[in-house]
Amino acid sequence: MSLLVLFFLIAGLGLIAWLSARMRAARFRRASKARFSSLPSHFGGFVAMWTVLPAAIFLAVWASCAPGLVTDRVLTDPAAVHLPPPGFERAAILTEARLISRGDGFGTPTPLAATLAPAYAAAQTRADWIGATVALLLAFASGAWAFTRIRPDFRARNQIERLIMALLLAAALVAILTTMGIVASLLFESARFFGMVPISEFLFGTHWSPQVIDPRDPGASLGAVPLFWGTFFIGAVIAMIVAIPLGLMSAIYLTQYAAPRMRMWMKPLIEVLAGVPTVVYGYFAALTVAPLVRDFAVAIGVRWASSESALAAGLVMGIMIIPFVSSMADDSITAVPAAMRDGSLAMGATQSETIRRVLLPAALPGVVGGILLAVSRAIGETMIVVMAASGVATLTLNPFASTTTVTKQIVDLLTGEAEFDSPKTLAAFALGLTLFVITLLLNIVALTVVKRYREAYE
Amino acid sequence: MTERASISSTPAPTDWRDAAHQRRMAKRYAAERRFRWLGLGAVLMSAGFLVVLLVSMLSAGLSGFVQTQIALPIDFAHSRLAIDPAKLRGRGADLALAAADLGAATDAAAIAAYGPDGDKLLSDGAWTRVRDQLKADPSLLRRRATVWVPAADRIDIAAKREGAPADEAIVAKLDAARALKTSFNSFFLTSSDSTDPTMVGIWGALKGSLLTMCVTLLIAFPVGVLSALYLEEYAPHNRWTDLIEVSINNLAAVPSIIFGLLGLAVFLNTFHLPRSAAIVGGLTLALMTMPVIVIASRNAIKAVPPSIRDAAFGIGASPVQVVFHHVLPLAMPGILTGTIIGMARALGETAPLLMIGMRAFITAPPGGLRDPATVLPVQIFLWSDQVNRGFVEKTSAAILVLLVFLLAMNGVAIYLRNRFETRW
Repeated sequence: MSLLVLFFLIAGLGLIAWLSARMRAARFRRASKARFSSLPSHFGGFVAMWTVLPAAIFLAVWASCAPGLVTDRVLTDPAAVHLPPPGFERAAILTEARLISRGDGFGTPTPLAATLAPAYAAAQTRADWIGATVALLLAFASGAWAFTRIRPDFRARNQIERLIMALLLAAALVAILTTMGIVASLLFESARFFGMVPISEFLFGTHWSPQVIDPRDPGASLGAVPLFWGTFFIGAVIAMIVAIPLGLMSAIYLTQYAAPRMRMWMKPLIEVLAGVPTVVYGYFAALTVAPLVRDFAVAIGVRWASSESALAAGLVMGIMIIPFVSSMADDSITAVPAAMRDGSLAMGATQSETIRRVLLPAALPGVVGGILLAVSRAIGETMIVVMAASGVATLTLNPFASTTTVTKQIVDLLTGEAEFDSPKTLAAFALGLTLFVITLLLNIVALTVVKRYREAYE
Repeated sequence: MTERASISSTPAPTDWRDAAHQRRMAKRYAAERRFRWLGLGAVLMSAGFLVVLLVSMLSAGLSGFVQTQIALPIDFAHSRLAIDPAKLRGRGADLALAAADLGAATDAAAIAAYGPDGDKLLSDGAWTRVRDQLKADPSLLRRRATVWVPAADRIDIAAKREGAPADEAIVAKLDAARALKTSFNSFFLTSSDSTDPTMVGIWGALKGSLLTMCVTLLIAFPVGVLSALYLEEYAPHNRWTDLIEVSINNLAAVPSIIFGLLGLAVFLNTFHLPRSAAIVGGLTLALMTMPVIVIASRNAIKAVPPSIRDAAFGIGASPVQVVFHHVLPLAMPGILTGTIIGMARALGETAPLLMIGMRAFITAPPGGLRDPATVLPVQIFLWSDQVNRGFVEKTSAAILVLLVFLLAMNGVAIYLRNRFETRW
């Protein structure tokens, strides 16, 4: 029986349970004048829940352990004695047999897999039938038990509400699970990487060329310092040189000078910049900006102007970051109490003097927090650098030279055809861990700065 | 009078007409004007970047929606095609047409019409257009007909803008013979990826995007809203709920590529879900979108005034009833706005999907959640890597489609916010 049919069967059983329990409860209500703690739909929900949930839980457990049971059963087949000892080859043959038994096989099958396939199909069918029968019996039995509990004085609502609360808590726990998943998978794969490459060579080595890794000393060509420098140079230096003045001045103009109508139009317009997909920025950078930057470099006489320069990627990234800086600055400037501004204006200071000497210093923590958040976003940004930055890791201060970044290297390392045990692919997870830690620290610092400042005025 | 006298007895008043003072004031006012102009300049420059971006995509991409076609006269009656017209009706049509060598017949017709290099004027997929025509009108087989077929890439480029001089000459000649026309490229919206830029389309990627977004929405929306309800309405204040809160806020700021690494390590390597499938892409993006939805929902729930809860409690509702019957419906517009914004971000996301292998060359739209699929931003990324010049306009055209979707979603979000925003 297919999973879909089973699903509909159980859902149908649940529906029947809901309707019949509801009807029964409604009859109670008509029969007696007593007050009920629960509505008929609560009774319906209670029985439906008992019908569906145990079966669903059983199916989830069964689905995770059935493949193992099926394989065990296949191994008792007489043909299975010819299988190679446990290892990669054995797993491959078993997988192939499973695919053939499902009709998904392709190419000419190995003879052993072909002989095992019928046994596999039989075991699978058996497992499916056991699962389906037990699930349906379970649904029926627990549903019937719940149905017998329907009495006028039974508090079905409390039961239902307890289930809803459990569901809410489970939903909230997904966030923790995701965080744990990220940390665990990064740590686990990085630990394997640092088993092959000493952590100091990775963090402090200055030579990065993962294409040619010497198997005897993989750490020699996996020093990530050039990547860290490139990321910092593009994301925290060039992009910020573009984004901070433009974002800050835009925020100042829109909060202090602009007419309400202009603010109404320009603020969303600038915010659209944050909604443009980064792949579009990347294409813009590679197609339009990079050639312009190179032509400019050649025109001013730079010798080694690369078409994949740090400047092109950084410029476009800066444009992308403008709205982050400007909306954070906007928030913190408007949060400065009007009395401070009015006091300064009343003393005879011009508006720009008020802004520079009073508003900005007062808003500074918020602005700095916003800039730190923007830096964190720029460092984690991927597509622009994948499309516009080069793959060559260099330690350079020349913005026209090619540089590479952590995120670009992660993409490059993992989209190749390498197996999952090589230091090359595992290095991507080590880079990911570094990126995660750095952005996490930046975010924490930024949020603390912003929070502390907000408290000062409230 | 006495008051004035007392004022004049204070230190000498500012002499507003003093030259030094005037100079100083002029300097200050000039600084003021400069600062103001700087601000205006920054605003205009930021908006200008957006305009430049849009204009460059429009100018490069609009021609992607237009296709150059060449008139191809084919004498079906004498072409010795082994097709039985009777078979073209009903189910056997595709099989019968596949068996006949239409490619060769098309090339032969082109050589007959336009000289020895005639077949090179047509796109490699030109014969599929002939096939579609035959399917639509089997009576063509008995006569001579003119079929409009897509031109080869280089002719297409030469017809739209500057191409190689030799191609320009061919275009001029064809144009003079009225054998060239440009029309709306509906094929671009209905076909999938291909190696030939004249035959590519975005439907496969669009369908992949839709499937992925479905998975994302189905997971991120319920989980996000429920956890927001829990945290805002029921959660006790203890170390556990603090931990949940901190993780949600952190997840919202984690770089998207990290979610790709998570998807790769957990969904592919641990759970062995199929590579490059919409379901894995949707799961990965759901984890990324969920914190955005949680944060937006919490703000919307927080905005519902306590008096509403108190009133519901007052007439005997249970905590669950208060939230699900009263608070949630009132917070819904805000929750939906946040959800749309989160989904728009997920729709434009590329990096995490590259990590889970959604960069394969896929020529058929995915049939289900486990089929190999690609999504629109990844398709743009793949096309942008192509050296073939014909792909430039296709990439920009696909970007335009993506931007239209995103702007529409953001527009709906803004409309919802304005329409349903309640001030309590």
